[in-house]
This record gives sequence, C-alpha cells and structure tokens, in this order.
Amino acid sequence: MKKTILFASFLALTGGLFAQKKITTSATVKFDASTSIDNLPKAENKTVIASLNTSTGAIAFEAAVKNFAFSNPMMQDHFNGGSWMESDKYSTFTYKGNITDLSAVDFTKDGTYQVKTDGILSIKGVEKKLSTPATITVNGGTITANADFSVKLSDYGIGGAPVDGGKVSKEPKINVTAELK
Amino acid sequence: MPVKKRRPWLKKILIGILVIVVILAGVYWYYATEKFSDTKTTKADFTISAQDFIAEFNKDLKAANEKYTDKIIVLNGKVSDVESADTTVNIKFVDPATASYAIFAFQSQHLVEAKSVKAGDSISIKGSCSGGIFSQILETTAISFKRSTLNN
Repeated sequence: MKKTILFASFLALTGGLFAQKKITTSATVKFDASTSIDNLPKAENKTVIASLNTSTGAIAFEAAVKNFAFSNPMMQDHFNGGSWMESDKYSTFTYKGNITDLSAVDFTKDGTYQVKTDGILSIKGVEKKLSTPATITVNGGTITANADFSVKLSDYGIGGAPVDGGKVSKEPKINVTAELK
Repeated sequence: MPVKKRRPWLKKILIGILVIVVILAGVYWYYATEKFSDTKTTKADFTISAQDFIAEFNKDLKAANEKYTDKIIVLNGKVSDVESADTTVNIKFVDPATASYAIFAFQSQHLVEAKSVKAGDSISIKGSCSGGIFSQILETTAISFKRSTLNN
C-alpha cells in the first residue's frame, strides 16, 4: 500500500514538474491591412488560445474571429461581414503546426532562440500551408513565442472592391505573441 | 450676334448633384472616422452572474450565441484568473466543473484599471460579447469579450 502511494505521489510530482503542454488563453494576434489610402483596416485579438508541446514541438492557435477589435465600427462590420470573414459561419481562425528545428531550443535554459515553424493556417474554412520563422524566449519557466508573417487574402477567397481599389492590403501583416505557462 | 440660350434647369440639376455629392461625402466621412464609444458609458443589454452566463453557453452554445453575441453585457462574479496579454492583462471567470470560461480584453482607455484586479476579487465587469466557441485545443467552451471595462 505504501509503495502504491509513493509511486502515485512520484507520478503526480514529476507530472507537475515536467508538464510538456504549455497553454494560454490570452495570446495576441495583430492584423494590419492598412494602406497609404486607408489607415483603418487593422485590429487585434487578445484572447487567442495557444498551446505548445515542448516535447514534440507541436503548436496550435485558435482565435475567435469576432473578437478582433477595430477602432472603427464600420470597418469591424465589414471585417465580419459576408464578403470578408463571414464570422457567423466561420467563427475561428486556426493554426496547427510544429517547430521543425526543436533541437535549437533548450526549454530548461533561459534565453532567446530562433526557430522555424511549419503548419496549416485555416481561414474561412480554407486550409493553406504556412511556414514562418519565430522567436522563442524562455525566462524563468515562462515561454514567450513571437512570429511575424503575412498572408495573401486571395489564397483564402477574400477580395472585392476595397482590396482591388487599394484601401485594404492584399497581403496583411500578422503578428502573433503568446506567453505560455 | 447670336443670342446665348439660357438653360436655368441645367443650373438647378448641377446644384442638386453637388448637394447630393456633399451629403454622401459627409455621411461617408462620419462613418469612416467614427470610433467605438466608451463601454463604461454604454448601456448594458444584459446583467447576469458569471456562472449563470457560462452555464447558458454550456447548455446550448447556438442559442446563447444568438442571445448574447454583439451585445453589451455586465457579468458579476469572482475572478478566477488574471492573465498576461501582450502589454496588458485579461480577466477570466472559469466554471470549475467544466473548465468553460468567459474572458475579457479591455478597452484601451481602461487598461490601467484591469491591472488593479486580482484573482479572487468579486467584481462587476462590462464588455462587448464576441460569443462563444468550442475550443478544439482546450476541449471546452471559451466565451470572449472585447472593449471591456470595470463596471463602476
């Protein structure tokens, strides 16, 4: 009986110490499709769900489309509307991928590491491959991941007069930051 | 010498078109430069306890989304967690039985007050509800709010 309790305690302790899946529900995704003609099409979502498995390098993000906050109500309506994101029908953006050079990171040692990621980004139900460099910072057990990339709107079937007329960038810049614990 | 033909109707039409163009430009300018109003001074559509609110989403996600999405909601409850979000923090209420949660990102002018909140505090908070999703990562319901403020 004592051995069983000891073994269970050991499992609980080591499970806590070496938890491999780091999660946050407050990752931030910033979206900037502004142009020289129009400064309005940019927004951020600060309640993005993110996970990182430090053992396998698997990473995942999930963002509620409707929680992208714009400064301008009209722009937010257009973003969620029928010719753009159709957020009533497609409620989330998702990304599932991997750190392809996981050996470049020592999660037990404080420092800043440059890595490569490879995965699938899903917007409006359209899945496209996305490869981008990212920065991982380890500081006292907290892992911060940061990546900058751009997406082609046409890849996801997004277009229309504002894009063609140069009011919305054809390749918006995206910034992702996640502090994982 | 030929007499110049006067066409007063043409002048009226041109003035009419000009007036319409000016009105349309004014309407467009108004909407293009409009900002979201301060949530603190915006009237709430619903006031409800955090646990009852989350329970409604757990019971029927579609019905709760139809009822609450894009509405201004006041939630009252005990804060479960305060999470770092970029340079600020988010406030979170969690249902301990299901791990479903409601999370609030603050309006830019109210970021400072968000940092005064601690886990365990009983608060009233107001925000624009963006609806709930079933998270594939967490396997639970996540309800998010934007442009939030403490309701005081």
